[in-house]
Amino acid sequence: MSIAVVGVNHRTAPLEVRERFAHAPREVPAALERVLSAGAGGGVLLSTCNRTEFYLAEPGDATPATVWAILTERLGEGRSASEYGYLVRDRDAVRHLYRVSAGLDSMILGESQIQGQVREAWETSRSLAGPVLHRLFQSALLVGARVRSETALAAGAASAPSAAVALAGKIFGRLAGRVALVLGAGDMAELAASCLVSEGVRVTLVANRTYERAQAVAEELGARALTEGVRVTLVANRTYERAQAVAEELGARALTLDEAWEHFASADIVLTSTAAPHAVVTWERVAPAIARRGGRPLCILDLAVPRDVEPAVGQLENVFLYDIDDLQAVAAHATADRHHEVPAAERIVSDEVDRFWAWYAGLAAVPVLKEFRERLDDLRAAELERALKRLAHLSPEDRAQRRHACR
Amino acid sequence: MVLVSHLLALGLYGVATALALTPFAGLRPAPRALTLGAPLAGAAVHVVGVAQLTPVGVAPALSILALFLVLLQVVSERVFRASAVALFTGPLATGLVSLALLIGLGPDARPVVGGGRWSLLHITVSILGLALLALAFIAAALYLLQFRELKSKRFGQVFRLFPPLERLDRLNHLSLVMGFPTVTLGVLLGFGLRYAGGVPVDAAQIVWGMLTWLVLGWAVGVRVVRHWAGRRAAFASIAGFVAVVLVYLALKLAAPGTERFL
Repeated sequence: MSIAVVGVNHRTAPLEVRERFAHAPREVPAALERVLSAGAGGGVLLSTCNRTEFYLAEPGDATPATVWAILTERLGEGRSASEYGYLVRDRDAVRHLYRVSAGLDSMILGESQIQGQVREAWETSRSLAGPVLHRLFQSALLVGARVRSETALAAGAASAPSAAVALAGKIFGRLAGRVALVLGAGDMAELAASCLVSEGVRVTLVANRTYERAQAVAEELGARALTEGVRVTLVANRTYERAQAVAEELGARALTLDEAWEHFASADIVLTSTAAPHAVVTWERVAPAIARRGGRPLCILDLAVPRDVEPAVGQLENVFLYDIDDLQAVAAHATADRHHEVPAAERIVSDEVDRFWAWYAGLAAVPVLKEFRERLDDLRAAELERALKRLAHLSPEDRAQRRHACR
Repeated sequence: MVLVSHLLALGLYGVATALALTPFAGLRPAPRALTLGAPLAGAAVHVVGVAQLTPVGVAPALSILALFLVLLQVVSERVFRASAVALFTGPLATGLVSLALLIGLGPDARPVVGGGRWSLLHITVSILGLALLALAFIAAALYLLQFRELKSKRFGQVFRLFPPLERLDRLNHLSLVMGFPTVTLGVLLGFGLRYAGGVPVDAAQIVWGMLTWLVLGWAVGVRVVRHWAGRRAAFASIAGFVAVVLVYLALKLAAPGTERFL
């Protein structure tokens, strides 16, 4: 009996290697079937941007080599995947998964996204997981939930998008009902805007150089927003007519990018993430609108590299301008606080590893108990037949009753 | 009993101040039950002591002011989750009670000069108005500190432990809006005592009372009528409170003595 983890993570492999190992959900069954055919009682593949790990129940001697072969095929260039990876067995493998699920092994300590990724991996691999891994992943999710509820490992804003929410929250307190203007539609802006929307912020404008991306982000935000009564207005500067058509479908109003500067007078939060090679939010463009705010604070979150907002804008009265470095500084502070919670989280993990291992060790006794019971049954049957031979005078009904009583 | 309850209150206010300061010393913040419990317990024993005081002279006034400040701190924490208010009210209350004890507190057999209950009401309401003006000053000071941290992108303990700007602004606004009618009532009761009750009132008391009323009126006016908010309103509150305190000290220097508040 054995459990093993074979894989790579952000500590052992650089991003350019990890991205080659990443498996889309549709690729998972084929990869697992290939590994199981090399000998294993079950398998789950956990593939995120920070790790690709095969969890194996009762792996054969050749199974880890098969995993390395699968990963090496993706690596190419005569390199071996095993150079970047690790093989962990038994209790250490259980501990590893529990630490992963709790966020203790994450790049951002305590981040909670991994919990959902572990759940997705388990669900995607469910048909091939087998009873041991089924139980292991169920317990891993419970361990993650326990660590997050009993410690402050997930407290604070430890990622850039959540830091954006924390900064806006330090200015406005409750964010519900605040108005956000989104300029550009990069991944980071989308994530940060989603965080703001989840806090009840009203996204009124999404501006982007290319319409399609603006549409995608606005639809994403709009879909979530509709449930919270949020109104989404699209802004596209190059393909205005198309933007207008889609905006009408969404019940919103389309604007050109130049018109967006006026909205600096009414928005509470401005998120910028354009791909422009120079600052698009300049003092000249926004200062007149900001002057009309009447002293109300304006939070500008510039997530672009190179920066979208001219530093002079941050000097304006009641304007709070933060760039990506500032968000990372906020996140770093939160991460530092989270480190204090690691011992408590590790204690929970150790307790749960002991609990799981006690259950798993109990499985080893199952075949012995089964054989013991079969032998007892044989013995009982032989003794019963011997006794019935001595009781030949009994009627068939009485014999049947005796047989029944001996079961 | 007066002394014992004031000493107990002093100790508990000291504990509350220490608890409020622990995060700034790099220690884990104390549980909320403790940061609320210590000042509340202090206020409870303080009330027992204050109930036996004759509110005449500087020492009882300081003691009552300390009590109101602590009670307002607890309310601020409960309603606005503004635990950072304790950073000011804790040391202030501790200092005011210490000063009252140094000046000398004790049950006084002398009756309040004229007016009886009305005089007591005038004193209590006026000190409550002053405490609300002090709370507006504290909220404004916290606002400016948090504003500076946010503007200069420093994400240390002030950033983490101080309430959001908007909440501090609302606390300042509410303190002023509640403080103005309170002080107005105190001033009206003072005039009533003088003209209807025939209680002798010094010119210094009239000057200071009117100044406090005008300052609060101006601070509320610029906020409500001229819609000042944020940093400008915070500066106005601080300037007003400092003016009230400085004028009191100047008037007190002109006529020293602890038997009378002014």
